[in-house]
Amino acid sequence: MTEQGAGASPTRPYSASVGQYGRPQPANLADILERVLDKGIIIAGDIRVNLLDIELLTIKIRLLIVSVDKAQEMGIDWWRNDPMLNASQAELQDENKRLRARLDALESGDDRDRG
Amino acid sequence: MADSARYAYAVTRGLDPAALTRGAGLLGERLEVVSAHGLDAVVSDVPLAEFSEEALTRNLESLSWLEKVARGHDDVVRLVTTSGPTAPLRLATIFHDDAAVRDRLHEWRDAIVEVLDRVDGRAEWSVKVIAPAADSPEPDTSEPTSGADFLRRRKAQAEERGRRGAEAVRVAEEVHALLCGRAVASRVLPAQDPQLTGLSGVMALNAAYLVEQAEQERFEQRLNEARTVHPDVLIEAAGPWPPYSFAVLEQS
Repeated sequence: MTEQGAGASPTRPYSASVGQYGRPQPANLADILERVLDKGIIIAGDIRVNLLDIELLTIKIRLLIVSVDKAQEMGIDWWRNDPMLNASQAELQDENKRLRARLDALESGDDRDRG
Repeated sequence: MADSARYAYAVTRGLDPAALTRGAGLLGERLEVVSAHGLDAVVSDVPLAEFSEEALTRNLESLSWLEKVARGHDDVVRLVTTSGPTAPLRLATIFHDDAAVRDRLHEWRDAIVEVLDRVDGRAEWSVKVIAPAADSPEPDTSEPTSGADFLRRRKAQAEERGRRGAEAVRVAEEVHALLCGRAVASRVLPAQDPQLTGLSGVMALNAAYLVEQAEQERFEQRLNEARTVHPDVLIEAAGPWPPYSFAVLEQS
């Protein structure tokens, strides 16, 4: 993993992440969650994960911490009491409600526009 | 009813199943391939006791469970990536059986092929630019002499923060432009909340870059250049990642 001239290594291992000082470190949990929850191909499986809850969770995680220790130390629901965040939480709950209503409407048979 | 389901990690093509023996799925289950229409989905069994709708709703709220599954998911995706172009699936994509997996491959075939073409021979890099919270130039600890004095100080502090913020944004743009020169695509992601990352600074850039395999070292060189030019910010890079941020289906 030096600068250059190490020769072409066509299949570099997809494991080590490289910090500022070039030492490998385990991938940061926030980076992983950001990707596995939010990115990648979204294909509906047979097990319907409640996507609305996942969205909420994702946002919670965003607000959370890079380190799990810290998160646990603070308690997972600490943000409920933070006035800075309550506004957006209320918005989320609103949005959640609206989306649930929409989902109910769709599930009650009115989903003609699905491919 | 079955007591297990099929958890799908990623879709690839031309997969040599032997490559999968180097790793294991969630809970140590054997990785298997479900193929249809020239596409290979990598799957393993998961117990419904842990992965039914109900159980998931509960488990996803547990950060330690989530971490275990997220890392396990990522491990498998990385393993698949070593053998060919890979379209990672979102966490917890679960089917009743292999027939359902094939149905879905059939349904999404064209879109998945498009994604595989886009990421073939390329990998993702994650780069963050973090501007350290500069020490207050003159920590004025004296009591404000009046309300007006207090407000003046608050305003000066806000202006200072604004200046630093603007400078960080400028640096982030420069770094981003520099890195884009070595990437075939990029995505700017939302900043991870600086107040909570434990990093005392402003995350001015949180971005993902799709980089050709052959360009990886030059991309890393660019990173080092950026660090040299901007020693005042922290430039955190991680990679290569599987191309999560670029394996997004274009909704038509």
